[in-house]
Amino acid sequence: MKLRKLCYVAALAGSLQACIKDAPMNPEADIETFSIDKSQLTSDVFIDQANSTIRLYLTPEAYATGIAPKLSLSTGATVTPASGDSIHFDTGLRQYVVTSANGLNKKTYKVEVVNVGYWKWDFEKWMINDDFKYQYPIDEDSAVTWSSGNPGIAYSGVDEDPMAYPLRATTDAYHGKYAAEMVTREGTVLSGWVGIKLFAGSMFLGVFNIENAFAKPLEATEFGQPYKGQPLRFTGYYKYKPGAQYQDKAGTIVPGMIDSCAVYAVLYTGTTRLNATNIHNSDRIVGTAYLPDGSARENWTRFDIPFMMKRKVDGNEKLMMAIVASSSKDGDNYKGAIGSRLVLDSLEIVHE
Amino acid sequence: MNIKTKGLLAALLFTAGQLSAQQSDKEGPAFKPHLEHRIMAGFNFGATAPVGLPNTIRKINSYWPEFSPSLGYELGYRITPKWGASVGVKLDYKGMGTKDQVLYFPTIITTEDGGTFAGDFSGKNQTTVRNAYVVFPLSATFTPDNKWRFNLGGYAAWLFSSNFYGSVSDGYIRNGGPTGGKVVIDHATFDFGTDVRKFDIGLQGGALRKVGNKLEVMGNLNWGLRPVFANEFKGLDFPLYNIYLTLGVAYKI
Repeated sequence: MKLRKLCYVAALAGSLQACIKDAPMNPEADIETFSIDKSQLTSDVFIDQANSTIRLYLTPEAYATGIAPKLSLSTGATVTPASGDSIHFDTGLRQYVVTSANGLNKKTYKVEVVNVGYWKWDFEKWMINDDFKYQYPIDEDSAVTWSSGNPGIAYSGVDEDPMAYPLRATTDAYHGKYAAEMVTREGTVLSGWVGIKLFAGSMFLGVFNIENAFAKPLEATEFGQPYKGQPLRFTGYYKYKPGAQYQDKAGTIVPGMIDSCAVYAVLYTGTTRLNATNIHNSDRIVGTAYLPDGSARENWTRFDIPFMMKRKVDGNEKLMMAIVASSSKDGDNYKGAIGSRLVLDSLEIVHE
Repeated sequence: MNIKTKGLLAALLFTAGQLSAQQSDKEGPAFKPHLEHRIMAGFNFGATAPVGLPNTIRKINSYWPEFSPSLGYELGYRITPKWGASVGVKLDYKGMGTKDQVLYFPTIITTEDGGTFAGDFSGKNQTTVRNAYVVFPLSATFTPDNKWRFNLGGYAAWLFSSNFYGSVSDGYIRNGGPTGGKVVIDHATFDFGTDVRKFDIGLQGGALRKVGNKLEVMGNLNWGLRPVFANEFKGLDFPLYNIYLTLGVAYKI
């Protein structure tokens, strides 16, 4: 009797397998890759999936003649204009519309050509992300060249309030109306589910690749924007106050340890961005300017750091410049003190 | 307890009463209505599962019953030689584990710090469920002969300890739905234990078979009719029910 019942249970469990229905049609409508010839680029293309924007960094020639990108899409999806079609930048706003295989979803990607014109920032213009309400600074010409950890933190279930994010504008400015404020904050319950107990405040020239935010966070922060010239000095103003209690990755307080900030610029060759795994040690690095002392500064303090150059750069080589700042130096490993606050204003890369 | 539940219980009692009334007319004087006491012990096998799998579940890689003992006392009243009724009180653990693969699985996660994340997950999932209930079963009983006794009725159960946790891995989640930003998930844990409803109600029925002077073997299917999570809970977009078979022994005292 009991044996027979057990057989029924086994049959029941087995029949669950038989209940598997047909797979749903693919509802996704991503542009997964956007390829153009490397010679036309000053930096690799960045597909900003979180904001449905393709950011292009083009040589002046490519900008003038237009490009014919090859696209790859979510399985079964279609796109207009088609992959391989030429697009020209003198005919106004460019966009791609992708339709999912199941026909139900459309995703529109804007195409933006990004240029860093002046290597000088006062952080006067800030935008707010519509979906998640985090702030990000834009350049004088409205180009988006700075990024931060904010887009990743947005996916961790923080409040939809600019002040809930570690990077935000502050009126505590050295020059003008605003400055960039970074405050290290505690993780959320959700971020705890992927083992993150602390979010350091950060900002950097570059892009944030949301796809890697949780699985490979060090690779999510892609540092650098295309650069031309011979840098001499990295200058700016900052204030820093470490938080009260330093904690390790597990969230355990480390007594006696005091947090410090990081502010640095790195010049490197190539068009593929360095990230937090190799920004300090890549053999593509040709010059660096590190803030030597990341300890507390109660009042606005000027820094003026000469670039340490491995060699002179050649006027024709493709170069990228990264500027990285964090309110917790080891924040990339989720270590630091909650409440550590770094404020930056009036940054500049001084060229020859 | 809602009106539907009360109605169900009342109907069961009434039916049992009616049946026994009909029977008692035909019985001889040898039979006297009497009480029966049983201690019942067993294990629960089954699942906290959807009725019909949604198409977002692509594959069930494994399933295992968790250690889910059931221990209780049943008071039966034999009104006629064949018909009677029983009530009981049980401590029931209902648990299982499963590993599966999902595709575009919608989830909305809300955490106690007010955080929320809505999106579609594709990848692997592992879930362990182990909920403990105090259960009050109520049955009409039918005893056709010396060997068998069948019962059918309902139950009401109050949760006193809950576990509903697991992990997702080797996949990605899309924020907000199919066209949202994609985030790769290597490994993330989840815990919905505190979201499990405190009260469950369902149907139950089974059989006892005499194997000794006082000993019987028992099989009883318990089918929950109330979703394990409240409607406000959006971690899963389909309802789960407690569907468990108790296998064990009963001892007449």
